[in-house]
Amino acid sequence: MIQDHKHLSHDEASAFIDGELSASAALDLEQHLTTCHSCTMLIVSAMQLKAATARAYERVVAPPEALSRLAAQLRPDAAKRPARVSFGLWAWGALAASVILVASFIGWRQTRQSNNLAAELLDQHLAVLSSGAPPEVISSDRHTVKPWFQGRLPFSFNLPEVLPDGTTLNGGDLTYLHGQPAALLLFNIGKHRASVFLIQRSRNGSASVSSGSQSGFVIQYAKTQDLGITAVSDVNPSDLALLMSALVEAQSPR
Amino acid sequence: MRVPASSVLFEQLALPLLPALYSHAFWLSRNHAEAEDIVQETIAKALRAFSSFQTGTNFKAWIFRILRNTFLTSRTGIAASRTVFLEDLADLLEVTDTNPSPEDHLLRLNNQAALTEALERLHPQLREVLLLCEVEELKYKEIAIVLDIPVGTVMSRISRARRTLYEDLRQQLGGSV
Repeated sequence: MIQDHKHLSHDEASAFIDGELSASAALDLEQHLTTCHSCTMLIVSAMQLKAATARAYERVVAPPEALSRLAAQLRPDAAKRPARVSFGLWAWGALAASVILVASFIGWRQTRQSNNLAAELLDQHLAVLSSGAPPEVISSDRHTVKPWFQGRLPFSFNLPEVLPDGTTLNGGDLTYLHGQPAALLLFNIGKHRASVFLIQRSRNGSASVSSGSQSGFVIQYAKTQDLGITAVSDVNPSDLALLMSALVEAQSPR
Repeated sequence: MRVPASSVLFEQLALPLLPALYSHAFWLSRNHAEAEDIVQETIAKALRAFSSFQTGTNFKAWIFRILRNTFLTSRTGIAASRTVFLEDLADLLEVTDTNPSPEDHLLRLNNQAALTEALERLHPQLREVLLLCEVEELKYKEIAIVLDIPVGTVMSRISRARRTLYEDLRQQLGGSV
């Protein structure tokens, strides 16, 4: 309550210009101002300062892209994602994401390399089947085929003395897999054709056999101490496995 | 997928306030990147706490309070709050002159550069309360919610902020009144 004999306080002046006084208190103050020059000047000054402060402190306009990101965060589907807030959280999140990304990339690359190799082998097998062109060396005699590769390959391999029943050697050719020279051996298993690729491999891997299929063709892999052997055919997998076993067996030192 | 009604309501309430939240965060932190961070964290916190918000009460004051607390726990906020503000020193900045001439006031207030400097020198807590009052045009009751202080303290803090500005301007402009 503003008394006639008392000047208004600064708090009251502020509250008055901010419209925070009760209706009755504001009425009392206005009545006081009609008779008090100093209090009127205080109110005028306070109003000028308020206006000047508002001008000096205009609302900062957010960059449009920042507003877009913030608005996106409000959407219910986006709300479930943890918001990027502190740098620490963000950094750890980014690090985790990087690890996952790198791991995924490595996995993807390995898968892709494996798929690429399978596709490459299959392509070569189909190329041999479709071209009708004879291989460089045409012979069912292992004593002819093996020597032909000497000097053409940086490694040597053995051919089985006896092939599984119904399997014949048709010949061989020089080819390349992933830029490495490889021996391509062509077999007939019954009425099916089989392409067998032999490539040099490092000695530190253990021998193993695995298989897969692509586009209806069977692909079987075998590792010996020195060689990687891959067979591609549309023959019954068990028949192809017999040929693979014979080839692997032939590489063992006698 | 059905969107919860509360999420839709939150978006409706918060979306129009984004420019104000950003602006206030900027004035507090003085940094655009930090302002965005603060608003993002504010939104995340407000969303989590939205179930505790009572519909019909003042959403702007509620979310500004979350924003302020978020700022205070930020690196810049912690640094700013190291300066202790003593609410008790009520008359420390009392302006002794009670009868300045109108010309003096006009001279001071027309000097925008001087006012900007005075605002920069203002204690962060006084600047903050002025921002909420002058820029965001919040009522004292709403500011009290934001700052979590009594309404009476809001009134005295705003009043003190203005007196401090006056005093600063008087010294800057060499007023001899």
